Amino acid sequence: MRLEVKNLSYSFGDKKVLKDVSFDVRPGEFMGLMGPNGSGKTTLLRCIMNYLGPPEGSILIDGQELQGCPPEKLARTFAVVPQSSSTDFTFSAYDIVMMGRIPHRASKFAGPSREDADAVRSAMERTRTWTMASRPFFALSGGERQRVIIARAVAQQPEAFLLDEPTVYLDINGQLEVMDLIRSLNEEEGLTVIAVLHDVNVAARYCDRIALLSNGRLEAIGPPADVLTPEVIQSVYGVEVAVRKDPFTDAVYVMPRSTVAPAPRHGRRVHVLCGGGAGGPVLKAIADAGYGVSTGVLNVLDSDFENASDLHIPAVPEVPFAAVSDAAHEENLRLIRESETVVVSPFPVGPGNFRNLEAAEHALRSGKRVIVLMPGDPSSVDFVGGRAAEAIKGLIRSGAIEVKSLDEALKRLQGPSG
Amino acid sequence: MHPGKGEAESAGVDFPRLMRRRFVWLVSLAAGLAASVIAAVLVGTLGPIGPGIPEYISFREAVGAIFLQEGDWPSYFSDVFWDVRIPRVLLAAAVGASLACAGTAMQAVFRNPMADPYIVGVSSGASVGAVVAGLMGFATIAVIGALITPALAFTTALLTVFVVYSLGVVGGKVYVNTLLLSGVAVAAFLGAVVSVLIYFAGQQYHRIIFWLLGSLSLASWSAFAVVAIAAAIGIVLVFISSRDLNALLLGEETAHNLGVDPEGLKTLMLVVAAVMTAAAVAFTGVIGFVGLIIPHMVRLVVGADHRILVPAATMSGAIFLIWADTAARTIIAPTELPVGIITALCGGPFFLYLLRRNRLAGEDR
Repeated sequence: MRLEVKNLSYSFGDKKVLKDVSFDVRPGEFMGLMGPNGSGKTTLLRCIMNYLGPPEGSILIDGQELQGCPPEKLARTFAVVPQSSSTDFTFSAYDIVMMGRIPHRASKFAGPSREDADAVRSAMERTRTWTMASRPFFALSGGERQRVIIARAVAQQPEAFLLDEPTVYLDINGQLEVMDLIRSLNEEEGLTVIAVLHDVNVAARYCDRIALLSNGRLEAIGPPADVLTPEVIQSVYGVEVAVRKDPFTDAVYVMPRSTVAPAPRHGRRVHVLCGGGAGGPVLKAIADAGYGVSTGVLNVLDSDFENASDLHIPAVPEVPFAAVSDAAHEENLRLIRESETVVVSPFPVGPGNFRNLEAAEHALRSGKRVIVLMPGDPSSVDFVGGRAAEAIKGLIRSGAIEVKSLDEALKRLQGPSG
Repeated sequence: MHPGKGEAESAGVDFPRLMRRRFVWLVSLAAGLAASVIAAVLVGTLGPIGPGIPEYISFREAVGAIFLQEGDWPSYFSDVFWDVRIPRVLLAAAVGASLACAGTAMQAVFRNPMADPYIVGVSSGASVGAVVAGLMGFATIAVIGALITPALAFTTALLTVFVVYSLGVVGGKVYVNTLLLSGVAVAAFLGAVVSVLIYFAGQQYHRIIFWLLGSLSLASWSAFAVVAIAAAIGIVLVFISSRDLNALLLGEETAHNLGVDPEGLKTLMLVVAAVMTAAAVAFTGVIGFVGLIIPHMVRLVVGADHRILVPAATMSGAIFLIWADTAARTIIAPTELPVGIITALCGGPFFLYLLRRNRLAGEDR
């Protein structure tokens, strides 16, 4: 099914909720509709299902105008899955799925046929709900209920699914279960999916494309990696975020940054030695406590390098996968000279970044205060056959302060550096 | 993976078996209804079964009086059966069916198993009409053949429903919660009007109260004809809407997505239920609980699918009211109780029992 939305506008009374929205959905595509609350995404979905009065502009299904499409034909084109469904009545799960066959009945008098029964059974087997067929719908868990509703939508044998935040009331387990099911129906049965989604990361993981609405306008449309950039999210949602790639699925991953204002700056400087992701919480905690923070040396693809740039912390860069060069080491020592304290985070030490420990030794020798944050045994971060563990123990012997937790490190930082 | 006979509870649904079971239910209820009509006709102050006051007659005499013109029994036997007993039992069946069917429809429209046919003001509206008729000197409430009271009650019932409906509709859309509250408010207001009228009723007081409590003693062939026609049309319309009512119970958006027009459906059901109920109430007064507990109880047994629920509840309502009325006219024979007292006496505690059982079953899931 090909859906074309052309110059669509919609108003509730005087309030314009959708303003000149145009986009199309290709057959078999998984399209996410996103936007802040009140941006018009649910209204857009309801316009597509023709639930509201006629809008301005037009919506075409395979080239045919949606307005004037008979309700039964529309019911065989779209199946809607709402946020949640409940009823005080004792319908069995089977009854609920059988309702999906209503648009396929010949007349109002016709009862369910053998064919309906077969369609219901295969829909319930497809969604793994057949075993709960005779149970009362209200007695099922939220996730099971939503799967039964999806089975109802499958039994409807539509060309496209319209979903309105289908997982908003589910726990993470139910959320994955339901989204995986929808994705597999999309991939295996070629069902077109148009879904209003709240969670940017769910959208990023499952959608082929995302249409982002803001104040009733289409702000951006495209693959998740193109739409979900920190700049776009900042402008639409007004939140500062960092965007990463999930190392396993390659999907983009959006992380909100704290919206709490940092403590007032007090000019004291701390240099953090980190790497491999160990520095993230350390950098953030020290920066939030009001210290001026620098870090290094970090490879450009190292996750701590990204952490530092998200926190706007200056870091001494090194090209990816290369050992610390002389130039980078010198730069690192320069930043250490400008700081009053050096914090050694429990970062994995390999041959490439061993010089960062040498930098700590240098700092200690030149009279800087050095705090070694080591919750476990130093050998756990040693990937150079004992040399690193020895160097860390050496630092402590030569007067570095050993702490076991980040809180303790922050307390020691507050003290005088003399 | 086909479930065996015993394990249908845990896995899947055997479709042919489900259909067979529903068929058996409907056939049993139809047989029960026929048997109830026949048995109830034979029970009474004059009949082979019953209190035997003033007269106990044999089966042979009863059957003879019903089916033969002449015999060795007094000729009024035949009149009692044909002019009083048979129309009364049939009217009970028609009223019981109307109330249960209308109750089922109302519960679906309001998406609330506690709704009943009187929820949109039918009973309070009809009461005003009936009481006014009584006061205006048509002091004929208990007189067979007087159609003025029913006509007035029917008219005021539908007028009231129209007012409540208008209050619940905004911009062509039926808002069931507003409708519900409008119904409550209008019923309270009309209840006060009825109380004022009763206060001035004087001599008519007893008759008016008797009407308000509901009674089938006004039964006649013409009453049966009117109620039966309204019931037949109403039941057919509700039954052909049954799959749409199912969809409506999952929410209006889902109903719309399944090709059902929720606004049209709600309006049709409200009108149909109001007319059926108004026709019944006009002749019998306000018989409570039938329209509330019968759909509820039947739903617990056959499930919520309206394809089976509508016919099963309709027949169960008929059976229930036949026996409630039989009890009403025999328990303290030769006088009779208003049948509304019997239905409330049976209905109230039974409803509480169902509520409690359901609540407990629902909680430990």
